[in-house]
Amino acid sequence: MSAAQIRFATLWRREVNRFMKIKKQTIGAPLLETFLYISVFGAALGSRVGQLHGIDYVVFVIPGLIMMSFSINSFANNSSSILQQKFQGAIQDQLSSPASPLELLLAFSLGGFIRGLIVASLTFIVASLLVDLPVDHILVLIPSLFLVGFFFSQLGVLTGVRAEQFDDVAFAQTFVLQPLIFLGGVFYSATLLPEPFQTLTHFNPLFYMINLVRYGFVGFSEVSVALSLLALTAATAALFFVNLRLFSKGYRLRA
Amino acid sequence: MVNALDIHDLAKRYPTGVEALRGVSLEIEPGELFGLLGPNGAGKSTLIHCTTGLAQPTGGTIQVFGHDAIDDYGPARQAVGLASQEVNLDWFLTVEETLDYHAGYFGMPRRERRERTKELLETFSLTEKRDERTRTLSGGMKRRLILARALMHRPRLLILDEPTAGVDIELRLELWHYMQRINQEGTTILLTTHYLEEAEQLCDRIAFIDEGRIVGEGTSAELAAKYGVANLEDAYLALVGRKELSRSHVEVTPA
Repeated sequence: MSAAQIRFATLWRREVNRFMKIKKQTIGAPLLETFLYISVFGAALGSRVGQLHGIDYVVFVIPGLIMMSFSINSFANNSSSILQQKFQGAIQDQLSSPASPLELLLAFSLGGFIRGLIVASLTFIVASLLVDLPVDHILVLIPSLFLVGFFFSQLGVLTGVRAEQFDDVAFAQTFVLQPLIFLGGVFYSATLLPEPFQTLTHFNPLFYMINLVRYGFVGFSEVSVALSLLALTAATAALFFVNLRLFSKGYRLRA
Repeated sequence: MVNALDIHDLAKRYPTGVEALRGVSLEIEPGELFGLLGPNGAGKSTLIHCTTGLAQPTGGTIQVFGHDAIDDYGPARQAVGLASQEVNLDWFLTVEETLDYHAGYFGMPRRERRERTKELLETFSLTEKRDERTRTLSGGMKRRLILARALMHRPRLLILDEPTAGVDIELRLELWHYMQRINQEGTTILLTTHYLEEAEQLCDRIAFIDEGRIVGEGTSAELAAKYGVANLEDAYLALVGRKELSRSHVEVTPA
């Protein structure tokens, strides 16, 4: 391995090591939370609701839950990790190394992405054991999940870099991210909403992400899959370049 | 011969408007043990942060062994080891991981990292603590670990920002001994300290910095001569305008 490869491997290994050391909190808790959602919405409410658009309610909900676990965990990991390291001053060790802004950004991003991927994969495995979960369009599902994970990893990095106190991260997650996810149609179809909420839902970017992942699993989407993929790719790329610029300028990282 | 550190007309103005450095120029030759003294807020840490990439200069140049610290930051940072004034250890890591990750950030291969980690753990009497998380260490052990970490990648220029602040006499003497040893082995050292006897005893040359400017530079004797006083302590007091505190002026009143 070259020196640059060793450096990059170490940078992201540190990020993975951090969340694995507290895996009860970073892996176990989100997994339990998703399992509880499946239990409540599947077993308890699912039998009452029946089907949505010809799909069993629990099966309709699970793709959104998988997407939700991927996004929240990617976001939470990166925002917390960066803020904690800034708070402790420990980030100086990486910042004073020969690592380039691109290496640093990718390594921080990968930490959250991997945590999100682990939780989402375990959610998928658990859900598959409980219900018959189809995978209708794997060629849409994999890039969609990849993009969702990377988008929220970037958003987590951005939040962590900008944050000056833990309250800033909690605010972004509780008051921005979670409402957008819950109102993006994880648990329902937008067509069930009265106006103007049905139209308003179309302004929520999470609505398109949830539909992409749902289409990958069950073949149903309320929006254009191609257009959603294109928009998500553009948004992810834009966010990545914003972060790269911030890292290059040292924004709130270097004095 | 290329200087270990060549700083020319360095300026740093923070976004708040504070001018921390106002045209600092400094040359440190390879193999020197150079002391930087000055009151709190004089610009010592800012100068160090600019050299190591933790702060971005607003003017002037810094070259580390001929490499520009901004435009050619890779080799410049590779040559520098920084032991910060603050305890900036990562709470999530063990003692051994702290050293291993640091060396990884600097591209050191695994086998070499293992050998170097073992060597430094022994040198700094940390072997028994190798599996403990850094937050459980005593203050003195944290100081030792910070110094060991700075040395992991075998830097040619070691920057020690008040390494003995707040440590007991035994550890201070131990650290002095170690500084002298690695300096004799060829490592250039830039030391900032508030302890004048430390600078007097260890440093080949000393610079006084005040309000972001170098106001005096030379050996201890040269500085005393410049201020027309008997020793380095009185020269320092002359610099900070507190000549009345000089021990030669203090009259002891009998009880």
